[in-house]
Amino acid sequence: MSAVIQHYQSEFERAEPLLPWRDAKGWQAWRQSAWSRFAEQGFPSTRHEEWKYTSVAALEKLLLSCAPATPAPLDWASLKDKAVLPEARGRLVFVDGVFQPTLSRVDGLPAGLRMGALSGRSTQDSLKLQGLLEQGQRRTPFTALNAAFVAEGAWVAAEAGVRMEEPLLVLYVATEGQRAMHLANAYEAAEGSAFSVVEQYLGMTDEPYLVNGVTSATLDEGAKISHIKIQQEGARSYHIAALQAVQKRSSQFNSHSFALSGALGRNDIEAILAEPDAAVSMRGLYRVSRRELQDFHTTIRHDSPDCTSDECFKGVLNESGRAVFNGKIRVAPDAQHTLSQQSNHNLLLSDQAEVDTKPQLEIFADDVKCSHGATVGQLDEEQWFYLRSRGLAAEHARALLIEAFALDILTGIDLPVLRDALESLLRKTAHV
Amino acid sequence: MLIIKDLHASVGDKPILKGINLEVKAGEVHAIMGPNGSGKSTLSNVLAGRENATVTSGSVLYQDRDLLALDVEERAREGVFLAFQYPVEIPGVGNVYLLKAALNAQRKHRGLPELDAMDFLALVKDKMKLMEMNETMLYRSVNEGFSGGEKKRNEILQMAVLEPRLAILDETDSGLDIDALKIVANGVNSLRAPDRSMIMVTHYQRLLDYIKPDYVHVLAEGRIVRSGGPELAHELEKHGYAWIGDEPAGAEVKHGS
Ligand SMILES: Nc1ncnc2c1ncn2[C@@H]1O[C@H](COP(=O)(O)OP(=O)(O)O)[C@@H](O)[C@H]1O
Ligand SMILES: [Mg+2]
Repeated sequence: MSAVIQHYQSEFERAEPLLPWRDAKGWQAWRQSAWSRFAEQGFPSTRHEEWKYTSVAALEKLLLSCAPATPAPLDWASLKDKAVLPEARGRLVFVDGVFQPTLSRVDGLPAGLRMGALSGRSTQDSLKLQGLLEQGQRRTPFTALNAAFVAEGAWVAAEAGVRMEEPLLVLYVATEGQRAMHLANAYEAAEGSAFSVVEQYLGMTDEPYLVNGVTSATLDEGAKISHIKIQQEGARSYHIAALQAVQKRSSQFNSHSFALSGALGRNDIEAILAEPDAAVSMRGLYRVSRRELQDFHTTIRHDSPDCTSDECFKGVLNESGRAVFNGKIRVAPDAQHTLSQQSNHNLLLSDQAEVDTKPQLEIFADDVKCSHGATVGQLDEEQWFYLRSRGLAAEHARALLIEAFALDILTGIDLPVLRDALESLLRKTAHV
Repeated sequence: MLIIKDLHASVGDKPILKGINLEVKAGEVHAIMGPNGSGKSTLSNVLAGRENATVTSGSVLYQDRDLLALDVEERAREGVFLAFQYPVEIPGVGNVYLLKAALNAQRKHRGLPELDAMDFLALVKDKMKLMEMNETMLYRSVNEGFSGGEKKRNEILQMAVLEPRLAILDETDSGLDIDALKIVANGVNSLRAPDRSMIMVTHYQRLLDYIKPDYVHVLAEGRIVRSGGPELAHELEKHGYAWIGDEPAGAEVKHGS
């Protein structure tokens, strides 16, 4: 056994008695088997096809602590300015992976819409949670590690027909270094229900830490979930996450990712269009500078006929920043009348920046419309000249063009309060 | 206002402007005509500061200053305005935002206070009436999805707002139907002033029926080969550019086509 596995083995032995739902039947065995799965594989190396451009060797060397934290108390006033939706009617706050009831509010929610911390769910509910997370947790070594250690996270559940337009906020704050946080989020929308949830990750330490998350979204017939994820992680952080949405008939899943900072980010996002007439919109923006790396691996599975997917990722790469985009679209043999669109556009602002972009289309049906395209380019000289010829300073013109490129990703976010909040966040964080 | 002396410029290794001489005094309107590829846009771009053509020799004095030594944005703030032959679309940058940023950059440069949103909007709306433009165009992205005519009108709108001292209009008439041409010409004419000079670059003499130039120059293969009054434009219209050949200015006029 390698020293790394040995370290996490002893972390597992130390943490396991402290993890929630221990008494519920099945959990101990479940964690144990997840642990074994991880121990067998270890951290992925760049020889692994899916991790070819993204090395986690430095993360592996860190030997992070995995036991639940006891963070120093924070007050809302110190977070309010940083929260993207400080006035959200439903809000869950976690500090170093620990739920903070006093910073959270869930009392203003409409009847039939519930939101809370996973640790607060009953043992019976927790088994359902296990079921939800089961599939996602078999995907990568990190999801296995997550299953072994998962202790906390957010859940939102909307009963049939309950619709809430105003977005909910889930805020994860990291204040302490040398720590791994294994988080899970479960979003469930029953038939005809709808809600939006913003997951914001805020790094308030420059020490290294790991956020290792697994998120599941389940959408029943005609349901709609909008999921907005914002990574504003610390300078030496690692953020690794897997999201899976399973969609029934006529459901709509909107996924927006904003990877704005952090040493290394890796997102595996998957939408399964399991029944006819379902639609997914998957959009994202990654911004890297210094020596940051953001990696998006997305999968859209058209398993049923008459489904639509619309995917667009954009990247702004500065200095020695790097990015990876791998977009897989799989259209099953009987998924006729599939409509699928994918694009990835990258703006390279320095000679040292680098992006690897790869569409991966696996189309087994014949009556489909699928398009994809990727571009890697510099700022448009002609546009830059035009703005300057009107008197705008060179730097101002440049910033405007970069901003215009990036803000385009907000297409599809129609709710003014959310759009404004994201727009001002993107502007505010543009020059860090 | 503007004195161009023996200006040579190349794109890559290829000489495009081969010794341009031109003097434009305050309040004058000069037309520069010439066949496609003669270097009209290159000259316009060099004056505005575009770097894809390199000036290899010669000088340009603008209000007694070395124009070529100024940055693009400095030229603009000092009152040089180029209405582009092909205005570029800039998705995501609002038309109204650009107008305001441009005007305020100029005002700041001249030590004037920036205009507030109200005063600015009143000014722009006033100018838009002149250009017979729909106000919704303010809230669209710069030139994005504009028709050819809308783009040209938008250029003149910017000119009307910025009130340049030297305006260079590069084929502002091309692609316009007769109604749009009249609107654009009307906008330009309303901006004629004793302290404002204009250089109108055009392939056809059609625009000159609506905007009367004081002087007409013919550019061919990077040189001004003829200069004269408005009547020169009519001769060109009658005889075509073949009539000019590439003889230097002052040579005997050859007739025939
Ligand atoms: N970017 C460029 N690269 C190469 N050649 C160019 C470029 N721009 C202009 N030229 C050449 O310069 C000459 C003059 O072009 P231009 O100034 O656009 O002429 P006009 O505006 O009179 O039609 C033409 O021969 C054209 O092919
Ligand atoms: Mg031209």
